[in-house]
Amino acid sequence: MRKLTAKLGYTGAGLTVFAAVLAPFLLYGVFTKGFSSLGLHVDEVYSGGPKVRTVQAAGYTIDIHRQVSPHLLQSEKPFVQLDWKPVSSLPPHVSDLVDIEGDGKPDVHVSFDVPKDPKAPLRVNVEPLNPRYEAMQNVGKDKFSALIVRVDDAILVRIPLAR
Amino acid sequence: MAKTLPAHEPRSTSRSLLLTLPIALWSLLMFSGWFRQPNRSQQIAGSITIVFMVVLFFMMMRTWSTYRWRRWFFVALGLLFPIGFIHQVMVMRGTMGIPIEEMIAGRTPFCFMPIPLLILPAAFFKTLVFPGSILPKGGMSGGGMAAMAGIWLAVTIVLGKGWCSYACFFGGIEEGMASVPAKAKLPKIDPRWRYGPWAVLLAMALLSLALFEPAYCMWLCPFKAVSEYIAARNTVGMVQNGIFIILFAGLVIALPLLTKKRTQCAFFCPFGAFQSIFNKTSVFDVKIDRTRCTPCVLCQKSCPTMSLTEESIAKGETLMSCMKCGACVDACPKDAIAWHIRGTEVAVKPERARLMFLYAAWAMAVMFGGSIIAQGLATILHVFV
Repeated sequence: MRKLTAKLGYTGAGLTVFAAVLAPFLLYGVFTKGFSSLGLHVDEVYSGGPKVRTVQAAGYTIDIHRQVSPHLLQSEKPFVQLDWKPVSSLPPHVSDLVDIEGDGKPDVHVSFDVPKDPKAPLRVNVEPLNPRYEAMQNVGKDKFSALIVRVDDAILVRIPLAR
Repeated sequence: MAKTLPAHEPRSTSRSLLLTLPIALWSLLMFSGWFRQPNRSQQIAGSITIVFMVVLFFMMMRTWSTYRWRRWFFVALGLLFPIGFIHQVMVMRGTMGIPIEEMIAGRTPFCFMPIPLLILPAAFFKTLVFPGSILPKGGMSGGGMAAMAGIWLAVTIVLGKGWCSYACFFGGIEEGMASVPAKAKLPKIDPRWRYGPWAVLLAMALLSLALFEPAYCMWLCPFKAVSEYIAARNTVGMVQNGIFIILFAGLVIALPLLTKKRTQCAFFCPFGAFQSIFNKTSVFDVKIDRTRCTPCVLCQKSCPTMSLTEESIAKGETLMSCMKCGACVDACPKDAIAWHIRGTEVAVKPERARLMFLYAAWAMAVMFGGSIIAQGLATILHVFV
């Protein structure tokens, strides 16, 4: 019995050394792909949720994302993310009526300046035309649920929903 | 059966070189890409790293000693990681603070620390509560969560909690600090502090599930002070950054200097506690031959994470928090404590067990830690070359 456990032990140790050699060529890739295929997703409070619709505007588009409802104890409010892109096609001042819910009626009036300097701070005003949405006046980037930021070639606005 | 050679006599140079040859070839293979880099500082950094890693392994073979040579690697890793990382962060975004737009874009670099905290939300809600990218090529530096999870799993299968001695790019700072004083000014530490990492792990895992955020990264990680921090947009952000700096100064600088222990690892790190579980699945461990043990407790005194107690020595084993650094093995004057392969008899061919462990551990160290060391060196060399 002792000889058998010793043989098993050495076999295990040998396989471990073999695994170490395989790690950069095979194991790492297998584990990485395995993790990617688990069907996990990044919390929508960070990612903004999946895009549901695209609205065509004059020379640019507005992507409308699905409403994000934060987890029970998260401090953020529910919100909707809208992406204006590409930034290069946006006018110096954007002022759009956006139909978020797709019922043919505008839900919010969003206005913001687009500075040429990509690092310049952004400010947004949101006037709700539907009571489901909250007003935002001169908001920068304080909270995940109420902000305007430039990410790559898009300007993202998150509009909080009234609870 | 005892070791084939007495531990105090150096192994012959030719035999040591022969034993080092596989690691030398492995290092050349792992760094072959560095020689094709157009940047000269990267080529030089790659070459220095290869020599560094191979010489350390040679010295381990020649002197039979593990800990004192491994420590050079580990301290270099701990010191050079922040240099390479901070430089990269500054080049890409101009600040060590993580701006909210980087979080939204999924470009927050993902280290291994939050892995245990993400498990519960992932299991219950299929959600990763971290503002990073899952894609293998996602994240700020092309290393998303999937890439780090892949590296972590591969290293963990091979080393168990050996991760904390051969792969962690944070622990080297406190190991360096702990090695500065000749004697500990605070030699007596309440052994109950050993439960600290488990308490932090439990609290942070539950809090991460409740708040849906990586609570440890948001509030308690001391290494935020030398990597990246939450951009202080408001008072809460200022408080969070204050906590990071206080914990870093206390647990990583001051207490290791006073106790000669890796205090953050031993009493606080939730990832270390989580990693201890994998010591139970690892084929390698450290055992004590009770027929040789006097016991002088030199091993207990030398352990940087207090993973040996009088009870565990009497049982002939280390606690599950042992990170296989080899300090106790080097410290034992009777060669009573040694590397061991599960299933084999204690003290039978211990050098074989040590060699098998070190080949696996050093292969991982060259692959993962070596590239981090080279990146840090390249950052420094870039100033001069």
